[in-house]
Amino acid sequence: MDEFDQVDILLVEDNALDAELTMRGLQNEKVANNITWVKDGDEALDYVFRRGVYEGRKGSGPRLILLDLKMPRVSGIEVTRVIKADERTRRIPIVIMTSSKEESDIAETYALGANSYIVKPLDFEALAAVARQAGFYWLVINHAAP
Amino acid sequence: MNVLSRQKSVYRKLLIVVLSTTAFALLLAGIALAILDLRSYRQGWIAELTTQADVLSLATAPALEFEDPSSAQAYLDLLKAQPAIIGAALYTANGALFATYTDGDHADLAFPRIPELDGFRTARNQLDLFKRIDSGNEILGTVYIKARYDIGARLRDHASVLAAVLLLSFGITLLIARPLQRNVTRPITEITKVARDVIEKRDFSARAPRTTEDEIGVLVDAFNGMLAEISTRTEVLEKSNRDLAHEIGERSRAEDALMASEDRLLALNAELESRVAARTSELEAANKDLEGFSYSVSHDLRAPLRAILGFSALFAEEHQTELGDEGRRKLGIIRRESERMGRLIDDLLAFSRLGRKALQPVSLDMTALVQSVIERLKRDDGACRTEFRIGSLPQSRGDQNLFEQVWLNLIANAVKFSSKRETPVVEIGGIVHEQEHIYYVRDNGAGFESRYSARLFGVFQRLHRQEDFPGTGVGLALVHKIVTRHGGRVWADGKPDAGATFHFALPKEEADG
Repeated sequence: MDEFDQVDILLVEDNALDAELTMRGLQNEKVANNITWVKDGDEALDYVFRRGVYEGRKGSGPRLILLDLKMPRVSGIEVTRVIKADERTRRIPIVIMTSSKEESDIAETYALGANSYIVKPLDFEALAAVARQAGFYWLVINHAAP
Repeated sequence: MNVLSRQKSVYRKLLIVVLSTTAFALLLAGIALAILDLRSYRQGWIAELTTQADVLSLATAPALEFEDPSSAQAYLDLLKAQPAIIGAALYTANGALFATYTDGDHADLAFPRIPELDGFRTARNQLDLFKRIDSGNEILGTVYIKARYDIGARLRDHASVLAAVLLLSFGITLLIARPLQRNVTRPITEITKVARDVIEKRDFSARAPRTTEDEIGVLVDAFNGMLAEISTRTEVLEKSNRDLAHEIGERSRAEDALMASEDRLLALNAELESRVAARTSELEAANKDLEGFSYSVSHDLRAPLRAILGFSALFAEEHQTELGDEGRRKLGIIRRESERMGRLIDDLLAFSRLGRKALQPVSLDMTALVQSVIERLKRDDGACRTEFRIGSLPQSRGDQNLFEQVWLNLIANAVKFSSKRETPVVEIGGIVHEQEHIYYVRDNGAGFESRYSARLFGVFQRLHRQEDFPGTGVGLALVHKIVTRHGGRVWADGKPDAGATFHFALPKEEADG
């Protein structure tokens, strides 16, 4: 497998500014080489299951999904449900990154099999740090399922 | 049959009484007279016949002595002069018939064959008498006389006289009874008539005339008095009947009205209840809407804020050299204000979340809660000079996280508002009351004007300027909401520049000490 083709992180975020800030935070510390950003849940599922515009995309992965909850069309909760219900994809760690501290959201996503739940800090430094730490943990420290 | 039966009039009864009394008296008198008369008749007749026999025996003694039947016969025949004597006979001393006599009607009369001893006997309206004839010491024969002895005829005579007397007395009695009736029975008849009128016509004004002064007069008076009494009573009764009927009418009308108003009340109640239910569900829906709204607003507000903060940070980082001190100061303002807005949004979010969160009440060790809060405050602010005085705090039941928030908000407030004192003091204590536990947090800080105390607990309500004491104005609103949700109450006392005391009270529960 070509190391450069490997997608490390799939960032699912409808807010472009948030996405840019998050990616800046991740890239600053060179946690991941490849970060792919998709704008909503629908696109995320297309990407993961290689369909639609992503049919026959190159590379494997992703090794980690950073997932926003509040998105138009298909929500983060729905994305979690579909990915964690599919035998081929359910081992991909999903880290929920949202501004919602809503307890029902936390409970529901964990019940569906989400691996982490992070509330996005307002402060950029804090946000960058959180994103970095999550990526570092799941991609470097954690030993992924075979 | 009873002669004084109930149906007969008083007059006739009286008449019967008088007549029967008269008849009875006369009858008794008649019988007594008859008995007396019969006795004297019998005695007189026997004496007469005995005398006759004596005369005969004297007269016929020589004829018997000399056995001369013809002269004896002549003496016997003299008896014709006495028609009551039916027959007579002479017997010799040895008992043989010597001479006989019969009147014309009884020629076939049978004489006893032998004479009997002296004496008489009566039988079948006849009297037989024997009398011994003697001459001093020698019995010469016996005289026998048979005479009429008609008691029956005599009795019949008596009876007819008695009947005549009776009839006469009855006639006289009837004549006497008439005026008697006038005196006695007429007033009674009058009363009877009046009574009948009263009964038939129900006319209690009728009165019986009083004609005598005797018991009947008294009876008439009593009767009239009774009528008057009945008349009054009847009037009273009729009046009370009318009143009663009126009252019954009133009552039934009132009852109808009551039932109608009860129905209306029920309908009104039902309407009210349904209205309350509708309003409640509307309110609940509105509350939910509001909470959902404030939640999504604060949620969506965070995104642009994050962008502002994030990109100003990137800007500061990437254009560090081009920025002068002034540029950095302005960027700093942007950053600080954005952060403050973030806190506002966070608080608003917490406030909104509180309404929807289910309470998880546990037994609360308030002292431990307060101590952990103070430790946290001291940790966050290393330069904290505040002196904390913690009194005894009774236990209560409540949601642990929420009460940690309550204590944090109250104590942090107290610390904040007393921070400008030389020696800031925050006093925390509790009072056990009969119905509730009261907790308070007192500071010696800036205080407030007591007329604004009610406004303190409103959302975004602030009594101090942001430059003096920064804050979002959500903390006390949060305290109010949490305590209220636990069935408690909050209030505050204060004076400008003389400190403030914030109280909250929780209802005492059975499990509490």
